[in-house]
Amino acid sequence: MRARRLNGTVRRGVLVVLGLAWLFPTYLIVANAVRPATEYDATDAVRPPTSMGLFDNISEAWERTAVGQTLFSTALYAVVAPLLAVLVGALAGYAIVVLRLRHGFAWFVVIFAGTVVPFQMLLVPLFIGYSKVSLYDNRLGLILVYTAINVPLAALVMRNFFGNMAVSIYEAARMDGASTFRIFWRIYVPLSASALAAVFILEFTYVWNDLLFGLTLSQTETVRPVWAELSALTTDVYAGTPVPIALAAGLVVSLPTVVLFLATQRLFTRGLTLAQF
Amino acid sequence: MTTPTVLPDRAVAAAGAAASPGGPGRPGRFALFGRLRYLYISPAVVFVAVLLYLPFVWTAYLSLTTYDGLGSAEFTGLDNYVRMFHDEALLTSIRNTLLWVVGTTVLPVGLGLLVAVLSYDLKGGGWFRLPFLLPYAMSGAGLGLIWGFILQPDGMANQVLTFFGMPGGDTEFLQDGPRNTIAMIVVWAWQQLGVNMLLFVVGLQSIPRAPIEAARIDGASGWRMFRHVIWPLMRPLTTVVFGLALVASLKTFDIVWVMTQGGPGRTSETLAVTMYRDVFVADDYGYGSAVAVLLTTITGLASYVYLRRQAGREEG
Repeated sequence: MRARRLNGTVRRGVLVVLGLAWLFPTYLIVANAVRPATEYDATDAVRPPTSMGLFDNISEAWERTAVGQTLFSTALYAVVAPLLAVLVGALAGYAIVVLRLRHGFAWFVVIFAGTVVPFQMLLVPLFIGYSKVSLYDNRLGLILVYTAINVPLAALVMRNFFGNMAVSIYEAARMDGASTFRIFWRIYVPLSASALAAVFILEFTYVWNDLLFGLTLSQTETVRPVWAELSALTTDVYAGTPVPIALAAGLVVSLPTVVLFLATQRLFTRGLTLAQF
Repeated sequence: MTTPTVLPDRAVAAAGAAASPGGPGRPGRFALFGRLRYLYISPAVVFVAVLLYLPFVWTAYLSLTTYDGLGSAEFTGLDNYVRMFHDEALLTSIRNTLLWVVGTTVLPVGLGLLVAVLSYDLKGGGWFRLPFLLPYAMSGAGLGLIWGFILQPDGMANQVLTFFGMPGGDTEFLQDGPRNTIAMIVVWAWQQLGVNMLLFVVGLQSIPRAPIEAARIDGASGWRMFRHVIWPLMRPLTTVVFGLALVASLKTFDIVWVMTQGGPGRTSETLAVTMYRDVFVADDYGYGSAVAVLLTTITGLASYVYLRRQAGREEG
């Protein structure tokens, strides 16, 4: 018994030490995002801020960069594309598992193998092709790409989820004369709300954090997503963006995903592992 | 391998067929709906075919051409691939990518496992884990943005080292290769530990209690308990977590692009950055496509070899 208690103490000790080491950069980031830009001094960055400059820093960031406008586009992409992907994926899962599509497994492999494609294989043709059909630097173009890359995961999870639901649900509903689509929309979708939400959250986070496609397929401030805009700050930094302003901008834009993630940890990990098994 | 009895959908289908002979699996009662069923799967197929597979094939073709984005692509066979062997920047990039692979599979996954094992059954374990979770939700780009500032020669990292009286207070973290790559890997580990830890915690909390209790009664504890009871039970999960980290590390782009853009002087490029630079900075579409094909081949081979080895172990 005593050995186990000692064991617990040692474990807590190691965790606290590691945890503090991990928290320290977080502290540095927050402290210096809060510090008024005029008081920032790299030689004194460890000192806690003495006054509150966070909101001034944020509004300054809004003035210096197109963060406001690009943030709106990002929000649009991060909501619409995963919604579409989840719907399309659920329809595919429904066709394969519930409607027993002939060669269902082969169809599933066709869809899911899409995740294996590294995005680097997509960039050049998308750039060239999009330019030709005027989807380059177009919000619709980005929504389509974000949807496509998220369909395979949605299809995988929804196929697995529907597979665990009783087949008798479908048969009973058919007996009652419900149409195939009605059964999907009124029975299968509501019953799988938790899985749909998990996939949506994962994909929302993914699209929100995207840099690569935003960088490649957009140009103007009205279309470009927020990280593509903010990533330019590191190159322009010597053009004089004060550190607290860049940090404040980075924090604010990260906030939605941080909150979403911390609030839905369980769902999040279930989503991640759902995808694996 | 002709009877894949383990495939879950086959099992479900079999169970369904057994439960309702002549059910919707065969064109019988619902033959009318047979064709319509394809309507449900077609959006997914169209999306992946047009926006994933078509570009994939197109890139493979472009890798055999010389093309600057204007005019038309000129077929040059394997020239781009031959050129790779003499491309210093590409060789550096391959070395850096390997560093990323080793670094990210060892540091965040290994440390994530450590923290998970230490904390999963502690009272209040969630609080002990919180510091590791906070960085995770930040994007790769946000991470690069913030750490780019911290790691500047006159940035906070050096000031902190000086503050605590440690040597190296004038280190130029991002100046020379491979130090810049290593610095970025450490930043990445700082962020990625959280998700790996979380996956391991979920795995640890869901392993069956019975074998652990039995081993405990037999007097196993600490390291022996972990090595002989817990570790084997979570092998499948570990396979997945390592595999994910492996594949992701091969494609590292965001953090490098934001922190150094692959520089200075192409010293910190990864294959994904090299590809991007060749295409969108140097307008060398054909060569950039060849680099993308190389990256894809490496990723595919690594996944294949890894999964083969793991599958072999599971059986053996």
